[in-house]
Amino acid sequence: MKSKQVLAIAGIIVVCIAASGRVLSQTPSPPPLSPADKQVADAFEKRAKDYVRVREALEAKMPPLSKEAKAEEIQAHKQQFQERVRAARAGSKPGDIFTPQASTLIRAIIKDEFKGRDRVELRNAVLKESENKAVPLRVNYPYPESQELLEMPPTLLLRLPPLPKQLRYRFVRNNLLLVDRENGLIVDYMTNALP
Amino acid sequence: MKRIISSLLLLVLLTLTGVNAQNNSARTNGTARSNAPVTLTLPNKEGGVRFLVMGDTGTGTDKQQQLAQLMLRYRQIFPFEFALMLGDNMYGGEKAVDYKQKFEDVYRPLIDQKVKFYAALGNHDDSNQRFYAFFNMDGQEYYRFTKGNVSFYSLNSNYMDKKQLDWFTGKLATDTSTWKIAFFHHPPYSSGGAHGSDAKLREIVEPIFIKHGVNVVFAGHEHFYERIKPQNGIYYFISGSGGKLRKGDVNKASPLMAKAYDDDMSFMLIEIDDKEMHFQVVSRTGETVDSGVVVNQRKSSG
Repeated sequence: MKSKQVLAIAGIIVVCIAASGRVLSQTPSPPPLSPADKQVADAFEKRAKDYVRVREALEAKMPPLSKEAKAEEIQAHKQQFQERVRAARAGSKPGDIFTPQASTLIRAIIKDEFKGRDRVELRNAVLKESENKAVPLRVNYPYPESQELLEMPPTLLLRLPPLPKQLRYRFVRNNLLLVDRENGLIVDYMTNALP
Repeated sequence: MKRIISSLLLLVLLTLTGVNAQNNSARTNGTARSNAPVTLTLPNKEGGVRFLVMGDTGTGTDKQQQLAQLMLRYRQIFPFEFALMLGDNMYGGEKAVDYKQKFEDVYRPLIDQKVKFYAALGNHDDSNQRFYAFFNMDGQEYYRFTKGNVSFYSLNSNYMDKKQLDWFTGKLATDTSTWKIAFFHHPPYSSGGAHGSDAKLREIVEPIFIKHGVNVVFAGHEHFYERIKPQNGIYYFISGSGGKLRKGDVNKASPLMAKAYDDDMSFMLIEIDDKEMHFQVVSRTGETVDSGVVVNQRKSSG
């Protein structure tokens, strides 16, 4: 290959990398955590990933759900998946993932994100207007389908420790839950989450 | 003399208004609506991208059924190819029987006519809906599809995390479609009393819309219809009364509102060609409660 061609290809690669970096940088970046907080967040993320590893292994043994599934297949898959994960995590308890240190960090992030009018609106949305007040606060139990999955404010999601795609943060009353998006189980929760 | 003429004119006007109000009232209070009037205001040209928009549908009530019957009648004169669902596709339980009662039974005639439904997820929707064949989500909570010169982005506003935002900006950055339309559940702008504008969502997504030339946004969540005055060159619509109604919830003095309808349930019919998007909003009673044209911002300036 001639040197001019090599240079041209290298140039294209540089431009592509720069362009992709620009695309990614369009999503606002949250303020950085202190080294100590970063350590707590990393440990939290690791525990969340450990849960996902367990549930992925269990799901892999089940017949896969088609992207063009019938309603009956969706229901059956969810039910089987719940039963398997519940059995495998029979001894799980509150605080397995939301340790006291992680809960303290997350409380501080939420408090910092919602100030003044925003805080009032968050409390109104979660404590007054929400239709999820009947969700039982029990680890390894299903989040009832009849209960609303309250929208998570995107500005907060950008600041909380990122979760694997299988897990979701959800506010229920004054608590923050980790819910599995496929099997619907409450994986863990922390209390006094709202500022 | 002038006073007499003015008084007579006023009397005629009041009489006519009274008759009209009575007619509306009679129509609104009725039950079966299969005989509601069907009047098309759209150009209905061959080659246009024709579709329907509805939100907050999943109740399975008689009124949702009546609205679906009206959709079917409109399809006979306006052959829309697909429908956008703006979330809250399933209220309450999500067992197989719920999918049947709240979706399949209601829209069976449209399904049988090969109308495709493209769903977004709302705050009452289980993520597993993304696997449901009739919602055409390809197993994804957020996805893109194209029809002619139009790109459609279905977003999950209930959980707008960094992964989704990166996906969205990445897709938009290489999108050369003439029209870019985003649809999702929570409205960035709203004159509703119960919910109102989702300011936190808007803070994150609107800069992306502006930067990448999103033309039109459809949202639900509010159980009424509203057309927002263009914001930063973007046209925002709310169509969230496909199965539920929050009567009288719109703040009529809202500076955001261009047009709103919260007297009954409704859906939108849309037709897009190269430069224009025509819309017609139809109530359960058969009234056309709003209609108009959106000119493609980039096409007209370019």
